[in-house]
Amino acid sequence: MSAGSILFAVAALLCIVGALATVLSKNPIRGAIGLLTTIVGIALLFLKLAAEFLAAIQLIVYAGAVVVLFVFVIMLLGPDAGSKETPPGKARFSRWFSAFGLVALSGTALYLLSRGQQTLTPLPAVTPDHGSTEAVGGLLFNHAIVPFELATALLIVAVVGAIAVARTKPRRRRAVPEGHEGRRLFGGPLHPRDAERPLVKEPAE
Amino acid sequence: MNALGGFVEHYVLLASVLFTIGAVGFVARRNALVQLMSIELMLNAVNLLLVAYNRAHGEVMTGQLFAFFIIAVAAAEAAVGLAILLAFYRLNASVHSDEADALKH
Amino acid sequence: MDALAKAFPPGDFSLLAVIVCLPLIGAFVNGVFGKRLGKEAVRLMALSAVGISFLASIVAFLLLKQAQTGSDAVRFSWTAYEWLRVSGRHDIGSIPIQVAFSLDALNATMALVVTGVGFLIHLYSTKYMDTDPSFHRFFAYLNLFIFSMLVLILGDSLPVLFVGWEGVGLCSYLLIGFWFDDEKNAAAGKKAFIVNRIGDFGLLVAMALLAYHVGALDWVGIEGGRQNLLNPVKLWPIGNAVPLSNVLPAGAAEWLNTPRYATGASLVGFALFLGCAGKSAQIPLYVWLPDAMAGPTPVSALIHAATMVTAGVYLVCRMSAVFVLSPAVMFTMATVGALTALLAASIAFVQNDIKKVLAYSTVSQLGYMFLGVGVGAFSAGFFHVLTHAFFKACLFLGAGSVIYQMHKRIHDTDASQDMRNMGGMRKYMPYTFATFAAAWVAIIGFPGTSGFFSKDEILLKAYTNSIPSPIEGGKITQLTRQGEQTIMELFQWPTWGSKFLFALGILGAVMTAFYMSRLVFGIFWGDFKGWTIKKKWKEPAHDDHHHHAYDPTEKLEGPTPQESPWEMTLPLVVLGALSIGAGFLNAHVLHIHPLDNWLLPVFDSAAKNVTVAEGGTAFVLACGVSAFAIGTGGAYYVYMVEKGRPARSFVEQFPRLHQWAYNKWYVDEAYNEAVVESVVSLADTANQADKYVVDGIVAKLTAFVVQLAGSGLRLLQTGRVQAYAAMMVVGVGGLGWFLFSPHANAKTVGDASAGNYEVVAAPGFGYAYRWDADGDGNWDTENFGEQMRVNLAVERGETKTVRLQIKNAFGRIAERSVPVTRPKADLSPGGVTTIQVEQDPDGTVRGVVPGLNAPPRPRRDNAPTPARPTFRPVQPPLPPGQPGAGGPQ
Repeated sequence: MSAGSILFAVAALLCIVGALATVLSKNPIRGAIGLLTTIVGIALLFLKLAAEFLAAIQLIVYAGAVVVLFVFVIMLLGPDAGSKETPPGKARFSRWFSAFGLVALSGTALYLLSRGQQTLTPLPAVTPDHGSTEAVGGLLFNHAIVPFELATALLIVAVVGAIAVARTKPRRRRAVPEGHEGRRLFGGPLHPRDAERPLVKEPAE
Repeated sequence: MNALGGFVEHYVLLASVLFTIGAVGFVARRNALVQLMSIELMLNAVNLLLVAYNRAHGEVMTGQLFAFFIIAVAAAEAAVGLAILLAFYRLNASVHSDEADALKH
Repeated sequence: MDALAKAFPPGDFSLLAVIVCLPLIGAFVNGVFGKRLGKEAVRLMALSAVGISFLASIVAFLLLKQAQTGSDAVRFSWTAYEWLRVSGRHDIGSIPIQVAFSLDALNATMALVVTGVGFLIHLYSTKYMDTDPSFHRFFAYLNLFIFSMLVLILGDSLPVLFVGWEGVGLCSYLLIGFWFDDEKNAAAGKKAFIVNRIGDFGLLVAMALLAYHVGALDWVGIEGGRQNLLNPVKLWPIGNAVPLSNVLPAGAAEWLNTPRYATGASLVGFALFLGCAGKSAQIPLYVWLPDAMAGPTPVSALIHAATMVTAGVYLVCRMSAVFVLSPAVMFTMATVGALTALLAASIAFVQNDIKKVLAYSTVSQLGYMFLGVGVGAFSAGFFHVLTHAFFKACLFLGAGSVIYQMHKRIHDTDASQDMRNMGGMRKYMPYTFATFAAAWVAIIGFPGTSGFFSKDEILLKAYTNSIPSPIEGGKITQLTRQGEQTIMELFQWPTWGSKFLFALGILGAVMTAFYMSRLVFGIFWGDFKGWTIKKKWKEPAHDDHHHHAYDPTEKLEGPTPQESPWEMTLPLVVLGALSIGAGFLNAHVLHIHPLDNWLLPVFDSAAKNVTVAEGGTAFVLACGVSAFAIGTGGAYYVYMVEKGRPARSFVEQFPRLHQWAYNKWYVDEAYNEAVVESVVSLADTANQADKYVVDGIVAKLTAFVVQLAGSGLRLLQTGRVQAYAAMMVVGVGGLGWFLFSPHANAKTVGDASAGNYEVVAAPGFGYAYRWDADGDGNWDTENFGEQMRVNLAVERGETKTVRLQIKNAFGRIAERSVPVTRPKADLSPGGVTTIQVEQDPDGTVRGVVPGLNAPPRPRRDNAPTPARPTFRPVQPPLPPGQPGAGGPQ
């Protein structure tokens, strides 16, 4: 086993274990840690695939921003973030049907692929600057400047949109369903489910 | 070179497994937080595939560029997704996506 | 003068822009800012806009007079910009439509009348409309009208004229309904607008026909290409045979399928005449004009007597070169004109509303003008337009002056216009009386006045003129397999036509003299019957005198009627003087006819198609004078000597006849029953069809089907995201199956003329290809490769088969054979088309495909158009009904 093989084995293991932890854990904070593990594993694989810049970006954006955001939200929600899986839940059939269907589909696809493929495709040698910050940066700013700028616009819009969706509007006092204060569609009309409930005046904030 | 990680197919296999785990997690779990994380898993799997194939055809770095933009989109998606999750929680006092059935009523 | 002539060269005569645009500016300023500017500013703006326009018209007229020395027509033109291009017939190419104005003898004179009379009436209106709260709106409309009218008469092509035509129609509608809070006025406005639409339809059709058959829409181009209008146009049957005619008896089918033709000139002429009949109130479209008197009196004077309603006559004069090519149209026009004159006069006999009498008198005089232009006496008809503008404007303004005074005490529109309430006004309103009398002697044809000369000229020409067939022998023949056959016979001017038209004209003249005298005697002689005159009467104080209704039985008391102020009498005096004196512009009896000489070049080409018989001058003169004498004398006897007793006994004897005439022969009612009611019932039917057929079957059935499908599909719409995700998984499975199966698709591209073909395989996910290009059953290569296309050469009429195998990423293989056939006959264009490029003397470059030989378009400049082949009318060069039948080769 060469060093590269060991690296791949470790990274792949990290990825799969992290992914399983993400999906299976009852506690979302554990899920977030699992996601972090997967991300680190993939960053390692990027390194092995001569994509240093992407590996760095992967760590900075995913580990540094996205996972941290998840953790923030989990903290905001507190105990409610936990999956209290009060059985039996709704739409069970659909969920399990989809899950099994997907596993079957990808399994079949992998099987058919392996059957049709007689030889493996080796990875050829690449130039030393392949995937370096310089090379990717040059490519980005010389050939992909328009998509790059569009990506910045997308991020701005996403940030503004996120604020717009998530912010708490200063609310006037108004009638709310008893015992379900705050249950309004985006601070607007009553939730249809609450149409029948008795209404009370909302307490002043 | 018969080593692990020396062939594209190894990465394809790993990416498929990761993607399937993510997809199953997305459809089978009810917790919207976990579902969002599953989406991240799937995006990562695709990124891995793109970089691997880019390595196999190493003359250009288009695959890496693609992965770069996917990371940007994923970041935006996570931000907006979590904002929607917060709003949803404020509405329903729950993070269970099967509670999101207002469309039906 | 020379400096002015240098400043405005004939080809770029921008003085026309000044004439046209000033009233538009006035309309804009008064319409938009008028309310804030106040009455004084509105008055100044309106008067100066029209006044300067009038002065500019005089300058333009003088420049034209200086330039027009010989017998050739001189035309000053000014092009603003090219508006659009319409495609003409295939051999003509596109026709440019330019916003261009031009000035020649005809419309220079007309512009003088429009701006001059317009200015006088503007001045009059400043007093007449003094107390109206919508003062600025009135003057905005009036200025807009002057602008539209100038566009109409100065436009250099039919589309520009049409813009003005619609513009004056709009202003007419706005001004008839000026006091729109009265339902009756609004209805009259709508009626005028809708009836005019029918005429506009004719004008539009005429434009399309001219564009198709002549290939030009400007005056020079139409006149230059008018010989094309002599070609026969097949009207019937549309296509080759009437559908289902084979089930009819043989005779009927043959009759039905016999081709019928008309000359292009007749079609264009009838369509144009429909337009003129609408605008100039001729049978059958005259009904709107009497109702149009609902507008303020100056409007009636300006629009519905002096200018707008003569636009139809102007158009006939303008298109005289086209009209004379169709004797059928000319005779129809003359007959319709004469009958209109009689019908309107018969109604005017019994009306009591003085504006109604004048309105029918206008219709009647317009009929005279059409009689004149219909017999080819274009300058006589136009001369009557001129004199009529003076005396009828004077009459209307005089009537307005009387009504203005009557309305001061009788606050009711109808009663203040009723001549039974007037009488003896000559004592109270001397200026009004004198000018009204001047116009009256003109209209009844008192020898020496303008009306006498113009009417006499029309009657003389009706007696002497006839329009010969423009084609020798009066028939159009065509060479067929059976030899030469006559396909259509042209209309011949009937031998009795001239006497018939003349008799109608004389009868009309007698009637005109009678009813106009009745009107004048009723207003100005006798005793005043409006109210009891009290010397020191004071109007009782009230806020809004329009409020309390007029009661005819109530005995009114009031002051002595007064003369109107100078703003109103000055225009009267000017117009009265012109009514008397303008006749010497064209007094043929005295051999003084400067107007005829002036207009001669304009009607030059039309005059060649008019036959004038010798003599008859003295006879016609005698008849005209006696018509005046009989009519006036009769009225004097009936209304002055016998104080109207014969008229009353006549009414008692024939009450039904009086009733019919008083109710305008029930024409409005007949139109209502025939046209309006049929439209209403059509609308009802459509409504029922919509309700039961469309709503019942189409809408309800569709809704039911959609509902059924919806209730089925609703079962799938659970509203749960997870269920949708599950369906997506099914879709992903389907997509996976598609990707898993190989698809061997290929398309063939190639050049049939060279025989080189290429078969290209469709790309796909991980595809590899192998080919059997030579069709020998063996694969060209054993292994699958990346070669996606093969080339092959195919002989004429040969078919080669190419086989293709595709292996996809899953190692699955699909096969397809692609047959490649080269057609036997060569469908590609053979040789290269050569285009000869020619250059006209004026520098225009044209490409000509040999063999097609498209005739050139008539050019816009004044030069004659020698390039167009001359037309030999007797034998049309091509059988009609074939493409290009109108274009002589």
